Amino acid sequence: MSDALRQAAGQVLASPQVWVVVVCSAAYGIFAGAIPGLTATMAVALFVPLAYWLDPIPALAAVVTMEACAIFAGDIPNALLRIPGTPASAAYADDAYAFTRRGHPERPLGVCLLFSAVGGLFGALVLIVVGRQLAKVALWFSVAEYFWLYLLGLSCAVIVARGSLLRATSALLLGLLLSTVGLSAVHTQARFTFGQPELYQGISFIPAMIGLFGISEVLRNMLALGERPPSGKAAPTAAKPGQGRIRRWAWQPLAVVLAPAGSLLRRRIPHVLRSGAIGSLVGMLPGAGADIGAWVSLAASKRFSKRPDEYGKGSLEGIGDASAANSAALAATWIPALVFGIPGDSVTAIVIGVLLMKNIKPGPEIFEKQAVLVYSIYLVFILANLVLIPIGLVAVKVGGFVVRIPKKVLLPVILLFCVVGAYAINGSYFDVWVVLGMGILGFVLERWSVPLGPVVLGIILGGPLEERFIQTLTGSDGSLAAFVSRPLAAGLGIACLALWASTLALALAPRGTTQP
Amino acid sequence: MTSSRNRAALGTRTLPALGALGVVAWLTVGLCGCGPRGEYPSGPVVLVCPWSAGGGTDRVARQVAAQLENELGVPVNVVNATGGAGVTGHTRGALARPDGYTFAIMTAELNMLHWRGLTNITYRDYEPLMLINRDDAALFVRADAPWATLGELKAAVAANPRALKASGTAQGGIWHVALAGWLVADRLGASDVIWVSINGAAPSLQELMAGGVDMVCCSLPEAQALLDAGKIRALGLMAAARLPSFPDVPTFKEQGADWALGTWRGLGIPAGVSAARKARLTEAVRRVVTSKEYLEFMARAGFHPAAEPPDEFSRTLADLDQQFGAILTSPSFKSVQAARFGPMVFPAVLASLLAACVAALLATRGPKRRHAEPATRQGVARFAMVVAWVALYVVLAERAGFLLVAGTLLFVMLWRLRLRWYVALLIAAILVPAVYQVFAVYLRAPLPWGAWWAA
Repeated sequence: MSDALRQAAGQVLASPQVWVVVVCSAAYGIFAGAIPGLTATMAVALFVPLAYWLDPIPALAAVVTMEACAIFAGDIPNALLRIPGTPASAAYADDAYAFTRRGHPERPLGVCLLFSAVGGLFGALVLIVVGRQLAKVALWFSVAEYFWLYLLGLSCAVIVARGSLLRATSALLLGLLLSTVGLSAVHTQARFTFGQPELYQGISFIPAMIGLFGISEVLRNMLALGERPPSGKAAPTAAKPGQGRIRRWAWQPLAVVLAPAGSLLRRRIPHVLRSGAIGSLVGMLPGAGADIGAWVSLAASKRFSKRPDEYGKGSLEGIGDASAANSAALAATWIPALVFGIPGDSVTAIVIGVLLMKNIKPGPEIFEKQAVLVYSIYLVFILANLVLIPIGLVAVKVGGFVVRIPKKVLLPVILLFCVVGAYAINGSYFDVWVVLGMGILGFVLERWSVPLGPVVLGIILGGPLEERFIQTLTGSDGSLAAFVSRPLAAGLGIACLALWASTLALALAPRGTTQP
Repeated sequence: MTSSRNRAALGTRTLPALGALGVVAWLTVGLCGCGPRGEYPSGPVVLVCPWSAGGGTDRVARQVAAQLENELGVPVNVVNATGGAGVTGHTRGALARPDGYTFAIMTAELNMLHWRGLTNITYRDYEPLMLINRDDAALFVRADAPWATLGELKAAVAANPRALKASGTAQGGIWHVALAGWLVADRLGASDVIWVSINGAAPSLQELMAGGVDMVCCSLPEAQALLDAGKIRALGLMAAARLPSFPDVPTFKEQGADWALGTWRGLGIPAGVSAARKARLTEAVRRVVTSKEYLEFMARAGFHPAAEPPDEFSRTLADLDQQFGAILTSPSFKSVQAARFGPMVFPAVLASLLAACVAALLATRGPKRRHAEPATRQGVARFAMVVAWVALYVVLAERAGFLLVAGTLLFVMLWRLRLRWYVALLIAAILVPAVYQVFAVYLRAPLPWGAWWAA
């Protein structure tokens, strides 16, 4: 093992080609991730024809780096404009944006950057040490276990949402209902499509997310424009005007962005470890991935927090824990892909294609036959997360200019980007209508104090939840016992019920102790 | 400065603004060297792929697109129009403007979806260009299974109907049809083997290994890893002849079952494209799919390349459509399709829960804390402007092109938000071409050029 590790280190760290590829892909990943509507999947898919010309290790290094950087970059529009770049960042959209509204966008971004990098490093280390053993966990999961896992993720979205439990539950159910539009995956039958072929694809979550969060915020601002002076005027910073250029460009990002995040990190090491562990475990299950990891970790973070009231209104603790979890999950999704050839998400589906292109067959023997390659992938994960910090800092610095633009210029430009971004995903005008419709829906829901996060997660997980529900029932010939007949399913079911019971107990208990 | 702007009467602002509109139009059109188009193709070509990024069809599509760029000398952008089990993409490809700038990669589902009542689109809505890949169905069992040949398996099914389980794809998918078709061809019932609906060949094969199903029907390349490892055996290939890359796998025909079926991928343009353009595209595609680079790619990916010219491909499509129609409309297959838990079970559960929640909310409506700002008339007007903006964009973009529509709309909105007209003009004139450059050129999003400007 150590021999292979040493050889891998030589191939990764000593190769100038790998370094160039990693730095370029980091910049590209940040760029693609920061534009709403562009996803890591698209960034990687566009790269595939280029992979043909690269050796296997640089090709995989590029994919790993793009993925790691794109998932952080999704936090940039999330914090600055409240447009989540990935479903995982939707978990803390309101928290991060709250700081921007107070004029401190660099705080959540610094936390996202540092905790993402640390989470990613944690994920890579976990996989180096126990990745092979962990892979077997995925085999324990049958459809019934997945059903409970999805339900657990959805429950977490309700728990972390701010405001009343009843409103959050309604939001979740609304999201789940929206997910049933289109062709039902398990029945292959059309539902709520009214004969329109465009509706067969259903409501895709990226336009829905851009609409619910981004457009609704544009609409709210448009309604209130000119009523009060813009508050985003140059955030108070450590560097005083008149100081030298070097100081402003090099020192200030470090001091203002990273230093507070660093001190938060020092205080929260056990919490970050817990989040990383949740992310790694959940990410490794095919079809669960970073999204559920972020929500579950955020809910756990809220439960253990001394200030649970801050969650949803601007909690740096929550932002940090959730971004650590989603970055840790990223590395874990590679495990089922490498060991069983079963992709954990859409990016690893492309990775399998790249592997086959390079004549590498995923399978249980990949650790024996391709040990150097496997270790190289993990080393690249470490490298990518280290490169992420300086490049991410530049991106945060550049992004900082966005909040200084006057609202009457910014809002139309955001609108343009939302429309183009939604269209770019599938080249579909229907998605543009979805953005608009969801924008109006989001605006209305916020007026009624209904949280938006659960709607998004409902849209994402509605399809898989139904599929597992129907498959479990079909397999057992209609008997509900199938949901608890396997020990692991029963355990997850009990965890889920306990979560709800404790949440209800907390909600119904007399208030008074929750005051900070 | 602000006060003077506010005092300015509408009349004095309209004229320069209208002038500016003209300038925006001129700039955006002029900047990009638009004008009457030259020889076909003179702009980016879109390749519609009905399946998601990273899948097998997407990989083939991207390979073809990359090589076609060299042949045609213009960008060829792959657009993943996913969803609806292939309905979305096949419909989009067939209904695209027949100007030769949109074509599609079609898959076997084209001949299946309309028989199942999911779409009206058939192969007749396309003009076939080239069949580029064929993968025949094969039947796999575990290495320790008691059946050594297809005949033995058939005898086991006949002796004990509905005892064995199979998978390979979702209910009603291509491999399900392949298996059911074989059963019917061999005078067994289509539902004598229970089909477990598992989405995809890889998870189905895993289920086979774990003992959840007794056989898997999918293509040979999909199962190659487990086949090479000696974990599974191939009982037969549903093709006319053995494959050179798998010489040991006998065909169904050799074993007395007259049955062949497989999946295919092909390129097609919407019906109505001019003959000259079709010929140009066909020739480019032909050169791509016979190139060494393409054949190498297909060999590495494990797909079996094909290169069937338009006429032959048309006949193949018609034959396949007949074959699928016979299977999919047969009574025995229809009975297999009926699901026990219908598509409305889940939505009904959700809707009743939501109704209960909303009722509880209305009943316990506590202290109302609306944080909403009071809306002014201008505010409502601005709100309506956003809605109109998006609607106008959707309606006009395809006709007048992204540059003109987005440029004009952006300018108008900035101007209505009381920016000085030349500032608004400057922002629109710089930003919109920049967005086009980033999204359409670098990131390959198919932002429309505009039908009005097309030759």
